[in-house]
Amino acid sequence: MTSIDVHDITKDYGTARAVDHLTFSVRPGRVTGFLGPNGAGKSTTMRLVLGLDRATGGSATIGGQPYASLGNPLRRVGALLDAQAAHGSRTARNHLLALATSNGIAGSRVEEVLMEVGLGSVGRRRIKTFSLGMRQRLGIAAALLGDPEVVMLDEPSNGLDPEGIVWIRELLRKLACEGRTVLVSSHLMNETSSFADHLIVLGKGRLLVDMPMREFLASRSRPGVQLRTRDGTRLRDALIRKGHEPVRGDDGRWTVHGATAEEIGALAASEGVPLLELVEKQATLEEAYLGLTATETEFAATSSPTAGQEA
Amino acid sequence: MTMSTTAVLNSEWIKIKSVRSVAGSLIAVFAVTLSVTVLAFSTVGQAEADNPGNDLLFHAFYALNFGQIAAISFGATALSSEFLNGGLRISLTAVPSRSLFYVVKMAVVGGLALMVGLITSFATFLVGQLFMGEYAVRLGEPGTLRAAFGGGVYLALMALFAAGLTAVLRSAVAVLSLLIPFILIVSFVVGDMAGGVAQYFPDRAGQLVLHQNPEGGPGPWTGLAVTAGWAAVALLAGWWTVRRRDA
Repeated sequence: MTSIDVHDITKDYGTARAVDHLTFSVRPGRVTGFLGPNGAGKSTTMRLVLGLDRATGGSATIGGQPYASLGNPLRRVGALLDAQAAHGSRTARNHLLALATSNGIAGSRVEEVLMEVGLGSVGRRRIKTFSLGMRQRLGIAAALLGDPEVVMLDEPSNGLDPEGIVWIRELLRKLACEGRTVLVSSHLMNETSSFADHLIVLGKGRLLVDMPMREFLASRSRPGVQLRTRDGTRLRDALIRKGHEPVRGDDGRWTVHGATAEEIGALAASEGVPLLELVEKQATLEEAYLGLTATETEFAATSSPTAGQEA
Repeated sequence: MTMSTTAVLNSEWIKIKSVRSVAGSLIAVFAVTLSVTVLAFSTVGQAEADNPGNDLLFHAFYALNFGQIAAISFGATALSSEFLNGGLRISLTAVPSRSLFYVVKMAVVGGLALMVGLITSFATFLVGQLFMGEYAVRLGEPGTLRAAFGGGVYLALMALFAAGLTAVLRSAVAVLSLLIPFILIVSFVVGDMAGGVAQYFPDRAGQLVLHQNPEGGPGPWTGLAVTAGWAAVALLAGWWTVRRRDA
């Protein structure tokens, strides 16, 4: 199977270090979400993997080989970096046909991928007449052209309409189920949590997180339950007797930190207090991510002028 | 597993013919040269021929002055279309070997420019002479074949010169605003004044091949070789830039 392996890679632009000794692997059969604040180095890392930018140090390989040494690379790796990069004067068909031809991919694939991404009827239109969402779809079509084992997409849901967002989510899941290696960068947390199995989070060019999403959420969540009842006073007293510290929220729900649903459910039953709702709290990806990056992000608004200079 | 050069050639051909400004410039090499030839020769062709010291053969290729602007535009836009909005990244993900990409691209640009250049040069000569009556020069007279063939090569070299410069500067606008004023003004004015050095300018040197009797300076083929040298330097500089820079 084909993995993306980034090993101790570093990239400097002049004196600015965009990627700093980064090491990680992207494995097949799952969707890996690639997260990080603006300027964290996600796009740079993707360009380094594709050999478009030269690494200052370290290496990146696909299936053990540097991208530049792959023959007919579009059959191994499909990438969408920037949907605006396709030349506006070409028709969608000709854009894809030039790519297919260079890699010995049958011309019939062009129509197939255009249909697959929902651009079947506009293949003969010039790309400059396309909306951003259509250009994203065209970029994804180009990535799928060679039926590649590895798919790398930089912000693919940019500019997509709600149907498009659902479509890309299902497409990513499908590609992973087919055993492909899928790396998707995004700044939309809810979006990412809907398709990613695994997360890689960068901050200032360094690796912050490389773990399964579930594990990441669990590690960033404070255990606790949220509940709703009509008899809040009686339950609160019972909870306090057991050493809990229930907090009443603005919406009338109670939050009990450090408790499990088993505990609280049993307690409520023994007290004879009816519960209308009882859920174990888990941080959303957004909460977990923001908690993590609050200290790491380069552009976070801070009250202290020196906070941005932390090493 | 290596990439097929033929496949990359075909792909570059598709890329050139599918961008209107690039394909348009190539067609313009022929269309502009022929139109100017017909217009000029049908009106003032014979009158100009009477001027003392006029080189009738060079005169026959008068319209190449205009055609070369189209050839330069073709070379420049064919390359600049890669540098628009990071388009080069798409090209290099498909063909990651930068040397293969660059050499094939330049081969397609040069090959097309040479083909269209030769057709243009011969057509211009033959069509122009139809209007020249008693002054007409026939293909086969001394120097005529050399001039018609050299004219086509000259157009291709100018296209490659512009293409190489565009690979360095990454902008057709920059290259065209550098070359066109140079050819229309600097080379023209300085060339008439200074003789010596100006004969080694890329355009002046190459045009020596169009003269019946190039007086003084480098000969017709040497002149064309000087232009080839300029093009080669530009192509090498472009190659070096494309290989070295981040895409």
